[in-house]
Amino acid sequence: MTNEAKGVTREGWRLLFATLKLQQRALIMGACVGLAWTLGKVAVPQLTKLAIDRGIEKNGSLLLWTMLILAAAVIAGVFAGWRRYIAFRESRLTETMLRERIFAQIQGLHVGYHDKAQTGQLMSRSSSDLQQVQGFVVNIPIFVSQITMVIGVVVILFFSDPILAAVSLFPLPFINISARSFSHKIHPAVMAVQQEQAQLANIVEESVSGIRVVKGFGAEAVQQGKLNIEADDIRRESMRAARIRSRFLPAIDLLPSLGLVAVLGLGGHRVINGDMSLGGLVAFNTYLTMLIWPMRNIGMTVAFAQRAASALLRVNEILSEVPAIADAVEPRKLPQAGLAQPVGAVSFDNVVFGYDIGHADITVLNGLSLTIAPGESVAIVGATGSGKSTITRLLLRFYDPQSGSITLDGVDLRDLTLSDLRRAVGVVFEDTLLFNDTVSANIAFAKPEINQEIVIRAAKLAGAHEFIMQLPQQYDTVLGERGFSLSGGQRQRIAIARAIVADSRVLVLDDATSAVDPTKEHEIRDALATVMRGRTTLVIAHRPATIELADRAVLLDNGVIAAVGTHHELLATNEKYREVLAAWSSPQVVE
Amino acid sequence: MWSGGGRGGGRSVVDEDEKLDRSQTRVVLIRSIKMAGEFRRTAALAMFYVVITVLCALAGPVLVRHGIDSGINAKDARVLNMTVIAYLVVVAVAYVIGRLQYVALNSAGEGFLRLLRIRVFTQMQRQSMAFFDREKAGVLVARMTADVESMSELVQWGLMQFLSSFLLLFFAFFLLLSMSWQLTLISLIVFPFLIAASVKFQRDSSRAYLEVREKVGANLSALQEGITGVRVIQAYAREDEQIRRFKESNRELFRSHLYSVKVSTWYFGLIEFAGIASSALIVGLGGFLVHRGSVSLGTVVAFVLLLATLFDPVQQLSQLYNTLQSAAASLHKLFAIIDAEPDVEESTHPTPLPSTGNLVVENITFAYAGSAKPALDNVSVTLTAGTRLALVGPTGAGKSTLAKLMARLYDPQEGSVSFGGINLRDASMEDLRGRIVVIPQEGFLFDGSVRDNLLIAKPDATEAELLAALDRLGLRERFEALPEGLNTEVRERGSRLSAGERQLVALSRAALVDPAVLVLDEATSNLDPGTEMLIEAALERLMVGRSVIVVAHRLSTVQRADKIAVVADAQIAEIGTHDELVALNGHYALLAATWNKTQPH
Ligand SMILES: Nc1ncnc2c1ncn2[C@@H]1O[C@H](COP(=O)(O)OP(=O)(O)OP(=O)(O)O)[C@@H](O)[C@H]1O
Ligand SMILES: Nc1ncnc2c1ncn2[C@@H]1O[C@H](COP(=O)(O)OP(=O)(O)OP(=O)(O)O)[C@@H](O)[C@H]1O
Ligand SMILES: [Mg+2]
Ligand SMILES: [Mg+2]
Repeated sequence: MTNEAKGVTREGWRLLFATLKLQQRALIMGACVGLAWTLGKVAVPQLTKLAIDRGIEKNGSLLLWTMLILAAAVIAGVFAGWRRYIAFRESRLTETMLRERIFAQIQGLHVGYHDKAQTGQLMSRSSSDLQQVQGFVVNIPIFVSQITMVIGVVVILFFSDPILAAVSLFPLPFINISARSFSHKIHPAVMAVQQEQAQLANIVEESVSGIRVVKGFGAEAVQQGKLNIEADDIRRESMRAARIRSRFLPAIDLLPSLGLVAVLGLGGHRVINGDMSLGGLVAFNTYLTMLIWPMRNIGMTVAFAQRAASALLRVNEILSEVPAIADAVEPRKLPQAGLAQPVGAVSFDNVVFGYDIGHADITVLNGLSLTIAPGESVAIVGATGSGKSTITRLLLRFYDPQSGSITLDGVDLRDLTLSDLRRAVGVVFEDTLLFNDTVSANIAFAKPEINQEIVIRAAKLAGAHEFIMQLPQQYDTVLGERGFSLSGGQRQRIAIARAIVADSRVLVLDDATSAVDPTKEHEIRDALATVMRGRTTLVIAHRPATIELADRAVLLDNGVIAAVGTHHELLATNEKYREVLAAWSSPQVVE
Repeated sequence: MWSGGGRGGGRSVVDEDEKLDRSQTRVVLIRSIKMAGEFRRTAALAMFYVVITVLCALAGPVLVRHGIDSGINAKDARVLNMTVIAYLVVVAVAYVIGRLQYVALNSAGEGFLRLLRIRVFTQMQRQSMAFFDREKAGVLVARMTADVESMSELVQWGLMQFLSSFLLLFFAFFLLLSMSWQLTLISLIVFPFLIAASVKFQRDSSRAYLEVREKVGANLSALQEGITGVRVIQAYAREDEQIRRFKESNRELFRSHLYSVKVSTWYFGLIEFAGIASSALIVGLGGFLVHRGSVSLGTVVAFVLLLATLFDPVQQLSQLYNTLQSAAASLHKLFAIIDAEPDVEESTHPTPLPSTGNLVVENITFAYAGSAKPALDNVSVTLTAGTRLALVGPTGAGKSTLAKLMARLYDPQEGSVSFGGINLRDASMEDLRGRIVVIPQEGFLFDGSVRDNLLIAKPDATEAELLAALDRLGLRERFEALPEGLNTEVRERGSRLSAGERQLVALSRAALVDPAVLVLDEATSNLDPGTEMLIEAALERLMVGRSVIVVAHRLSTVQRADKIAVVADAQIAEIGTHDELVALNGHYALLAATWNKTQPH
């Protein structure tokens, strides 16, 4: 192990202890309960021995011994249940609290982080990694009681017959060693199986979600080929794991029998020679069987602890990520709207921005400047991939520009709190994401407490009311992956209603009507005009009629504003503008 | 515990039918055995090994009894030594057979699961679009993952454990009986209580398990939504609300876990108690019998030892029973997919399709499953080889539906679609997909590079073919300008690209294939009109001599078609050239007027 790896491991242990510390008292309680169980459990073979030697062989009182064993049974039973309860409660609590922290952290991390993180990775941090932690914590009380039990039993055995103890205990450390080594070897194998399972899941997921593409091109055989490979991989990895199990498990199961054989052989001769009582032999035997499970479990718990530590390390990678986009230390407030002071002035000043893709020289915006007066509406026109949506993302402060600044009502975005800024800017994204919730809840997303009338009014404005009333449960219909699926145009209209409800001082419509058919778009356009009145609006659109809604149009080209003017001015004067909108005199020009 | 942790209910989707009744279970069992076919011998061998290991496990206490009674008590050292040697032999046999047992059982089980995965997926893909309309994507994925994986735990060790626990109890009972019926009766005293407790526990815990599963599912989807929806959540400053909701679902999950622990707490305590209590009874009552001389001391000792090993199996059986039940439920659902006959069925004796020909739609009527109103009502249209047909009309009129029927993604309830005189129902799917290709309305990108996404259309295309295709569309430079060129990873659903770029990738797939009929379902809505026009023009050149059906919303596209069909209200209202239809002064003329108003032509 390299020094660095050691450092990392130490960090993992530190995290593990810090996590456990939070539940110190309950865990200690669990350990105490476990000790009580140990006492009851360890007493049983002693009592049985005495019962056989004094009660049966010497014709003593059977009733007394029987009652004593029963008493030990009650103690062991009660404390076993109690210990189990504490162990599970605490381990689930650890898991639950960690999961909440991860989720909160994920919600706060900047978009740039999410661009790179894979959904599946984040999901497995908060599910399977936490399970590793839980799997260890649940073992702590048992671990403690088992360790004491092993010590207690070994002491008793050595006191009653040191030589026999030495011989019969000889195989036990091997159980422990094998269990540890098994746990180490099986872990990567199990992980490999899971990895393959995840890959298979991915293929199935994509084939099902993209079934139209698959069927459209008759690509079933391609997908089947990919799946077969994964199915084979799963089998191969599972068999590898099975062979590891086959190498260890029977051995671990049978090692203790060697101890039992030794007791029978050696102990038997001692009883024949009169050096040992028969009860003593039975007790010896029972004690040995009592040690089997603890020895295994101790070995595995050590491995579990290591696994939990490395899982926590991975979890901590998320938790320790510092959000690159965060509230200002001393945030400023946005000016309030007043009679003499209209709000919603937006200004981009010499903004340079490129995505973090490992090519610092590739930028999307190259010194873009644009000033929008309060209440003004501006259409941004540009070719595919020119950076229109990027402007939206910068305005929401999903990213910070590499240089230059963006201000809202004179305040630099970086001086505002994120929630102030984002409440002031409402967006309809180009790809609409709806949540797995009712239509009402989706529309009222920005203001959950809002009343139904406002929701319906917004839906009407967005041209969505009509089709919503046709849905099975109207406004209470659940949407999303597990709910009712809407067409692209319908989803966009819900998203527009959602932005209307937000009622922010700046509204951004990013290609918000692309999937709405032209006849319907016509109606929505009128409604949008109402919403836009007196509100600063950025419209990203390709259709002239939508562009014309805005007071002004700007052409985005090469990462800068290449031209400004009304739609008609630009059509008349700007070659590039005409090209982007395909506004040649006749479409045959391109041929 | 030995499984090293499964997926932990990963993508579980909660289902209504978690439990099967007895006859269903039997059917599932018989089906699995039939399907196991080639693995049956390995499985039988594995069973044989299991029986031997169980016998070995039982031999231990028997040998101890023999050693005590005939060796120690009879003071016969030779018998004792023989017993010890026999015990050693048993241990050695158990070890060897134990190893073989793991390998055999797993190779049969994993082979079976592999077969199951492949079969289910094959069958899933054979289904028509109607099937995918009906089933939620998440549920289908869960079938192939959570449902299959719920069986892998069984395959790895559960089934073996179940069998050996069962056999152990079974044999042990007869063994006990053969040693002493009195002591057997005594040890059975606790069993009625134990069985009653196990039944109650089994019932409660399976309810608790279902509850936990449901809560895990809800929690996971809340988590997933929080991750995939993070941009919208942040845009609307809704993080706190979302965190609050997640906490709620998380706490609910915690409570359901707690409930399931509570259900098991008393049971495990009771098992612990019963195990010790029954040896107390054996010692007490058995001792009494020894005094009376009706049983030997060795027998009492053997009973004490045997009973200690019997309580684990009881406990394990009641826990594994749940696992078995849910595995049977999973299998039942998987078989349902395997059994589903695709409603668009491939002909058993396909007629080869000619390389070109007219696509003729004759009097078709089609309604989506579950909707009373037909989406197409007695529609006929002919696409002459090498011409271009545009479908226009209002939302929901049936344009996409007609396009899909022309590619036989669905079969019409009445009427027929034929290509070159051959009914599509009589053609093989392979032929059909080679002749008629559909570029769907939503261009779906797979996780992988731009190149991977293009090659979906034609997996065996060479690099030269690929580049030539992009050249023809005039898109090669565009893609090569991306940071890593064609190797740029597009990320999940293509999130790394701009909306228009995603459509360009989806569209370029069309240039790779060489169909007789190309169906384009308004695949260009996010493109700027300039790019859109360039692409359409390029595609048009590409498709010279081939037939094209285009579902369009733009006048410019429509004008270039040889024939325009106006779909309205599930029917073809008008059909003809642009000029003819304008002259007709009907639907189309109205539509063209709106277009002219909104587009500066
Ligand atoms: N998350 C991202 N990571 C890296 N590059 C990105 C990312 N999002 C966009 N890009 C790249 O930045 C450029 C601008 O993208 P943007 O989405 O702003 O374009 P757009 O003008 O909105 O185009 P469209 O009209 O197609 O929506 C594109 O070349 C795109 O590939
Ligand atoms: N998978 C489906 N299941 C049930 N009904 C459907 C399905 N797809 C479409 N429909 C219904 O069938 C009718 C015709 O739909 P189709 O998609 O063919 O319309 P379209 O003319 O293509 O409309 P658009 O211009 O919005 O794409 C509509 O009423 C629609 O709601
Ligand atoms: Mg965009
Ligand atoms: Mg359509």
